[in-house]
Amino acid sequence: MSDLEQNKTDLRSVSQTGFLKILNVAGIYGVVVLFILLGIFLQLLGVINNFMTASNMLNIVDAVSMLGIVALGMAFITYSGHFADLSAPTTMALTGIVAVQMLQFGFVAAIVSAFIVGTIIGLINAFAIGKLKVNPIIWTLALNYMTLGVIRVIWANKQIYPDMIASSEKAVELFDNIYRLRFFNKIALPMIMLIILVFLFHFVMSKSKFGIQLKITGAAKKSAEYSGINVERMIGAAFIISALTATLGGLTVTSLSRVGAWYNGAGYDFKAVTAIVIGGMTLAGGRGSIIGVLGGVLVIGLMNNLMTLLGVGTFSQDMIRGIIFIIVVGLNAKSLRNLGRDDA
Amino acid sequence: MRNKINKKQILSLGDRYRIYVLFVLVFVVMTLFAPHFFNAWNLTSIMKTVAMNGTVAIGFTIILIVGQLDLSIGTIITFAAVIGLGLKDAVGYGVSVPLAIIAGGLIGLINGLLVAKVKINSFIVTLGMLTALQGAIYTITGGNTIAVTDDQAFAISDWLQHQIVPMLTPRVIIAIVLVVSFSIFLRRTRKGRNFFMVGGNSKTAWLAGVDSDKYTIVAFVISGVMAAIGGILFAMESAAATLNLGTNSLMYVLSATIIGGTSMAGGKGGVFRSFIAVLTLTTLYNGIVLLGLGNEVQIFISGIILASVILYEAFVEYRHDKVVGQRPELLKELNTIQ
Repeated sequence: MSDLEQNKTDLRSVSQTGFLKILNVAGIYGVVVLFILLGIFLQLLGVINNFMTASNMLNIVDAVSMLGIVALGMAFITYSGHFADLSAPTTMALTGIVAVQMLQFGFVAAIVSAFIVGTIIGLINAFAIGKLKVNPIIWTLALNYMTLGVIRVIWANKQIYPDMIASSEKAVELFDNIYRLRFFNKIALPMIMLIILVFLFHFVMSKSKFGIQLKITGAAKKSAEYSGINVERMIGAAFIISALTATLGGLTVTSLSRVGAWYNGAGYDFKAVTAIVIGGMTLAGGRGSIIGVLGGVLVIGLMNNLMTLLGVGTFSQDMIRGIIFIIVVGLNAKSLRNLGRDDA
Repeated sequence: MRNKINKKQILSLGDRYRIYVLFVLVFVVMTLFAPHFFNAWNLTSIMKTVAMNGTVAIGFTIILIVGQLDLSIGTIITFAAVIGLGLKDAVGYGVSVPLAIIAGGLIGLINGLLVAKVKINSFIVTLGMLTALQGAIYTITGGNTIAVTDDQAFAISDWLQHQIVPMLTPRVIIAIVLVVSFSIFLRRTRKGRNFFMVGGNSKTAWLAGVDSDKYTIVAFVISGVMAAIGGILFAMESAAATLNLGTNSLMYVLSATIIGGTSMAGGKGGVFRSFIAVLTLTTLYNGIVLLGLGNEVQIFISGIILASVILYEAFVEYRHDKVVGQRPELLKELNTIQ
């Protein structure tokens, strides 16, 4: 190969890297902007109405706030290189149903007991996966199944309603308000929770000692172990955080549906993984950020909103979502590889 | 010293044949306690249930052996059933059934290419495929069960239900033939052994001249084809393709494969053991129903069994890791000096 040819190939690879680099830096927010531009474009064409309105934008965030809460916590697991917490759906269902059951002792008892149950599930995961090093996917799937069995055996396949169990009207009202409380008549409580969690978790993940140790654990577990990080505790903590946010999500979902039942929270496991991975966290661990995960959640919200406005059926939405998911993740993996930041 | 080795050998033998022991145990307990369990009619119905998930488990086991995961098997089952029965009126079973199986293979091929060539984690690829296929199934069918009602379809359905050998219907025989041939292929041929090598250590396999990518792709194709065969045959027997046909299969097959001793880490496992595990779980479920207990108890118990098997394996590994690199004989020497 002559020098000239050598030069040519170099140039081409540089320009290609340039594009991928933009993709990599702008990341998921590039996609967010893309979807918003698409929405504005379609609105200008007159295909859809009411996209660029304040209330629609609020709706978008409102619709994904619960998913966001669950995904933000689960992101710590992905960050630590342990894929995902597939026990999230039944954690949500169990904590929700326990809260409804405990409403007979008042609102505070309900919330406290839900969080106790959530913590116990987190601890079980932490022990099995942190200490015994079980494969996280099958373990959380098995635990999901087992918890489902527990709920259905204890409550005998029945649903329970807050207003039939609670000791006072006040408790029911408070419980209903977990989802329904609006600040300034517009901003819902789950949205506030989401925003607080984003700030808190962003700080924890990228600035705190715990976050940095977790990153090393996720990126190179052996190195982390040899440099004196208590790897077992790091992984355990990630699973406990995830269980706690699942509890928060479970309480909100139960408050929304006003019924405690075993099927509450179904589907949140895979939806959360989708958001996390679209948001730029790789399953290999140690890469990505909370802000990225928020972007992933927003993309899912925007996508759902746009498709609904366009009149795409629910089932076709699934199909499109699945395909976009694979494409975005594929591009992300490719960009990382081409930039030499991933050996996979 | 000698005694210790024996103990170890017994433990490892127990591990390997664990699933057979478990099966005999479940079978004996159900025979003793569950009413109407041990009779030809009930045993036939167990075998019929095993036929679908047993076939699907072949593909899933091979996927785990090469160290990947396929979450899309459940939807492939339904998809194949929908294609096979949906196109029957237009082209007849002669064309639609092969089409359904080819569709399963194609989905597997896409999965495999994305995993091996684009190098996206199989968890993500098959999760995306699961979502996309779920949407496709509902879009194609409009949410309705597909039923075929002409004489030919009923005749085939009747034939599939008739027992060629006592207790063995055609579907069961097909499943057993597939299990035995894949078992022999994996154990006795070089190509079959290569699957284990790829799963055990894909770099080493590559250095040894095994095209790991190719084996990964083939594994996904086999998984897709097996799921499609299981799904289409089941749908043909019941002459209807319901949209939740494969919903429970993922958990069922995954549990069975893990309980059967195939490792999620790759490089270890066996098709025949998975089949016996499917048989064990089905027998257990059947017995639970006969004992008059509900669906919830079935979910609860299978969750407990799966969790304890996983924990037991992890515990063995954990104890093994703790003593790796330790030299007990040197420690003993040190103690005697002091």
